[in-house]
Amino acid sequence: MILSPKKIYLMLIVLGAILMTFDHLTSNALTDVGSPSELGNACAPCGAPCVDNQSK
Amino acid sequence: MSKAASIPSAVRRPLSFERGSLTLFGSLAVLIAGLVSLDTGLTGVGLFILGGLLGVVFLLFQYGFASVWRHALVRGEVMGLAAHFLLIGLCAIVFIPASALGLSAAGTVAPVTISLFVGAFIFGLGMQLANGCGSGVLYSFGSGSGRMMVALPFFIIGSVLGSFLLPSALGWGSVGPVAIAGGLSDGLRTIVNLSFISVAGFGFYLLGRHRGQQLSKRLVLACLVIAALCWAVFVLSGHPWGVTFGFTLWGAKLAQDIGIPVENFTFWQWPGPARALSHSLLSDISSLMNIGMVLGAAMVAAGSGQLSRQNWPSGQQLVAAAVGGVLMGIGARLSFGCNIGAFLGGIASGSLHGWIWFVVAMTGSWAGIQIRPRFGLEK
Repeated sequence: MILSPKKIYLMLIVLGAILMTFDHLTSNALTDVGSPSELGNACAPCGAPCVDNQSK
Repeated sequence: MSKAASIPSAVRRPLSFERGSLTLFGSLAVLIAGLVSLDTGLTGVGLFILGGLLGVVFLLFQYGFASVWRHALVRGEVMGLAAHFLLIGLCAIVFIPASALGLSAAGTVAPVTISLFVGAFIFGLGMQLANGCGSGVLYSFGSGSGRMMVALPFFIIGSVLGSFLLPSALGWGSVGPVAIAGGLSDGLRTIVNLSFISVAGFGFYLLGRHRGQQLSKRLVLACLVIAALCWAVFVLSGHPWGVTFGFTLWGAKLAQDIGIPVENFTFWQWPGPARALSHSLLSDISSLMNIGMVLGAAMVAAGSGQLSRQNWPSGQQLVAAAVGGVLMGIGARLSFGCNIGAFLGGIASGSLHGWIWFVVAMTGSWAGIQIRPRFGLEK
């Protein structure tokens, strides 16, 4: 029997919440929220470095 | 006899499900806000709330990109595109002259690379198969959409694959970041960029009027509210709103949990991603706002009874959602974002990559629309 979307949905939400809480409690936390573009020679929102005139 | 007791149990049951869901989502929101406040204080809580408000607004107004682009390409309905450029123009007013306005925030000027072209095309194609873009997948998932319950996990998988591909893809060729009118003062740069945005926006508006279409007040109101929220995100976080890095981070952390040495891949050794991977995902702006957006949409869906009305789409359509999700994930990483981070954030920051992303993703959308009927989706 296929579960209804709302049951699967609630299971995903609860599973996600458990995983998120586990990750938070077992990881270091920053004292301020951060974005990957803030560090290094970042040129993009994901933190990719600048690679000017690079071609092969 | 109380009023509640007089209602037949068959009628009461769905209500109790919705109330239970609303209580669950509300409790989760309070828990997360509490955890965030302990580490990142009011800034973190503020961004979490802004993510939630964006989820509420996007769901209430049914604001999206995938269907608007499809209707423009298939039916010639272009008022939605005019509205997109209205939103972009409103954001640009704050993003481009940020330093002149005294804000410690900066826009997104990403490089123009071969990977940008490839990724944007792939993203546009995937967006039409999945029936939603980055923000669309998030808020629709939040509202209990069966299609997005498939698309989101595959989006996450695709974006991790994209993170593995990006470092070598950057070697395909790049001319570096190109800021439009970058040599001019902030004021002139804003004027030049707003001119381009206005030409696009008014162009679509006039074309729509010529075709007898109307720009609804509701859509304009949605743009105004979303722009205000984007300004708040920009001021509070120091960056334009972005969605897809959060997906990449979630996938990478899950991959680590099952023993995949994600940290050894080049992408995850770059300083920004490395920091995100080694810290709580509640410290990452994109993740935090994404979680807020899901919960915001979820609370609206629970409060309006939408959760109980969701049905599974056909198997073919679920396959399309999975394929589209993977393509969007890979595409987003190769092209530095989605409709929010690259299209909205890029153009509103005066970055050439945003315009290229728009044109190429639109081409990819056209390709995706041609494929949709094979998955039982209408063009």
